[in-house]
Amino acid sequence: MTETYAVELQDVVKQFGDVVAVNHVSLQIRDGEFFSLLGPSGCGKTTTLRMIAGFEMPTGGAIYIHGERQGYRPPNKRPINTVFQNYALFPHMTVAENIAFGMEMQRTPKDEVKRRVAEALAMVRLSNMANRKPKQLSGGQQQRIALARALVNRPKVLLLDEPLGALDLKLRKAMQIELKALQEEVGITFIYVTHDQEEALTMSDRIAVMNNGIVHQVDVPDRIYEHPADRFVADFIGETNFIPVKVVSLSPQIIVELASGEKIPAGWAEEGIAVGENAILSIRPEKMTLLEEKEVDGPPPADIARVRGAVRHLVYVGTDTRHTVALQDGTEIVVRLQNSYIDEEPWEIDESTIVEWNAAHARVLKE
Amino acid sequence: MDRLRRNPTFQAWALLAAPVIFLIVFFMLPLLIVFVYSFLERGEYGGVQWVFNLGNIQRVFDPLYFRTFLRSLYIAIVTTLITLALGYPLAYFIADSPPKRKGVLIFVLMIPFWTNFLIRTYAWLTLLRTHTGLINVTLMSWGVISKPLPLFGNDFAIILGLVYGWLPVMVLPIYAALDRLDHSLLEAARDLYASGFHTFWRVTWPLSLPGVVAGSMLVFIPSLGAFVTPAILGGGKSLMIGNIISNQFLGAHDWPFGSALSMLMMIAMLIATLIYFRWTTKTEAAS
Repeated sequence: MTETYAVELQDVVKQFGDVVAVNHVSLQIRDGEFFSLLGPSGCGKTTTLRMIAGFEMPTGGAIYIHGERQGYRPPNKRPINTVFQNYALFPHMTVAENIAFGMEMQRTPKDEVKRRVAEALAMVRLSNMANRKPKQLSGGQQQRIALARALVNRPKVLLLDEPLGALDLKLRKAMQIELKALQEEVGITFIYVTHDQEEALTMSDRIAVMNNGIVHQVDVPDRIYEHPADRFVADFIGETNFIPVKVVSLSPQIIVELASGEKIPAGWAEEGIAVGENAILSIRPEKMTLLEEKEVDGPPPADIARVRGAVRHLVYVGTDTRHTVALQDGTEIVVRLQNSYIDEEPWEIDESTIVEWNAAHARVLKE
Repeated sequence: MDRLRRNPTFQAWALLAAPVIFLIVFFMLPLLIVFVYSFLERGEYGGVQWVFNLGNIQRVFDPLYFRTFLRSLYIAIVTTLITLALGYPLAYFIADSPPKRKGVLIFVLMIPFWTNFLIRTYAWLTLLRTHTGLINVTLMSWGVISKPLPLFGNDFAIILGLVYGWLPVMVLPIYAALDRLDHSLLEAARDLYASGFHTFWRVTWPLSLPGVVAGSMLVFIPSLGAFVTPAILGGGKSLMIGNIISNQFLGAHDWPFGSALSMLMMIAMLIATLIYFRWTTKTEAAS
């Protein structure tokens, strides 16, 4: 028998009129996982979440929650709760009434409701706010009440739609840690929608990167960063350099040729790329280093790439310095070097240089 | 002088002077006159005699008049309840429409106001009249009924006319309240296991109450004081307090008694308004 996932999406499509918001998305989210849907606004991540919650019905495909097909089941019949972007706390009810709402609707006995409301308030450390109205709370407090209101129902899956979006940066960082700790404590599957890659990278067990209704990559955070599956992911997550290349060979070793004629090795090539085709080489700025002519002696080892260039621009950013280097074909790349050596002589503008990196960090992607 | 001009208090008063003077001269003063007149004796040909007199106040509670007042109160309450029952779904429907259609629907709702209220009430007369009204004539010619239905000259006709006249006024504030309603609150309720009915009853309805109360006030107050509608559709048989008041001034030339009746009506409205303010301040503090 196949594994039962907390949430499984099979080939889900959502169309609004002519617009395809979600385009054949399949996801398997494991029980107890902190899973993020990451992408720019309009990428379909919120629509995907809303379909899981039952606010939108898929145009095609199927959604399973703990192995049960949801079909056209309305939100109130799904074992799921949502933390909304603007919290959506009921303004005419007190904090305690807000938290009790879901249990009241499920006809939970009164004394149990009372006990669980108190527990939920204690969990988010707002016990003294029980009789306040939401308007009387700060943004961060409202956020925690929204969380308590959802978690008090002990859902099988908790959906969070950019729940930290409205908070200021400092509070946001604190809430990220708090949320992650809470998730580990309660052990409930979290599906978290965000456009903030740092947030996704720090909190998630796994991330699905989405754009234009398509899932580009599903992976653990470090693989998303270190091994982006395609150009979109490489570009969207962190900073990266794209160098136009032509594929010379794919085996036994991947070799690409720059417009300058320099041939260099690369660690990985995207599926479907053929020898002789144009492609792009993707490499992160911190994976590269700069060498002087005199430091280089003979051809590099087989797994090391070296290309010639000239330093065009320096920006000191504290921990490191961003070196803009023009390659011989005119492509400008950024090399980040740590400012760790006290007596190291800084590069000068227009000084010629050799950029070196380990081929394993370089990925050949489709244009 | 220059310093005075820059004084913010002076500036505020300078701006307010016109409306304040207007209200004093054309609202406060007449109100005071009505109040004072209700304690005076009638003049022979209208007007008043400056003799202190409590008789008018006593007469207000004469069953002959007080019963009419209670009946007016009843008609106003029934009218308000019916307009609410009709107006709420209508307001909900408009607020739930796509943005482009909302404007059109509100526009359509306001179209009746382009025609004079008197003319529109007369139009109802031609429909409702017992023997010559369009409804009875048609139904009888079709043989649906053998004798005319009592559609005219009774409370039914008055309430129908008032409901027709004030329905848009009920719809607008409810629409405004529903239109402001944050849609994610309804989704949150559904997410928290509330059925459609419970979502309405626990979230939509309480959050639209300020609109409901405002609309009810806007319908109740003019309905209580109505005199055009009962004068025309009441057929001279079914009267409201407004008709008696207008008759005291225009027919019976008893200004002091008319004033006393007006005071009674205003007190009733004042009580209703106080209830309204209690409601709104309570719900405002809540939201």
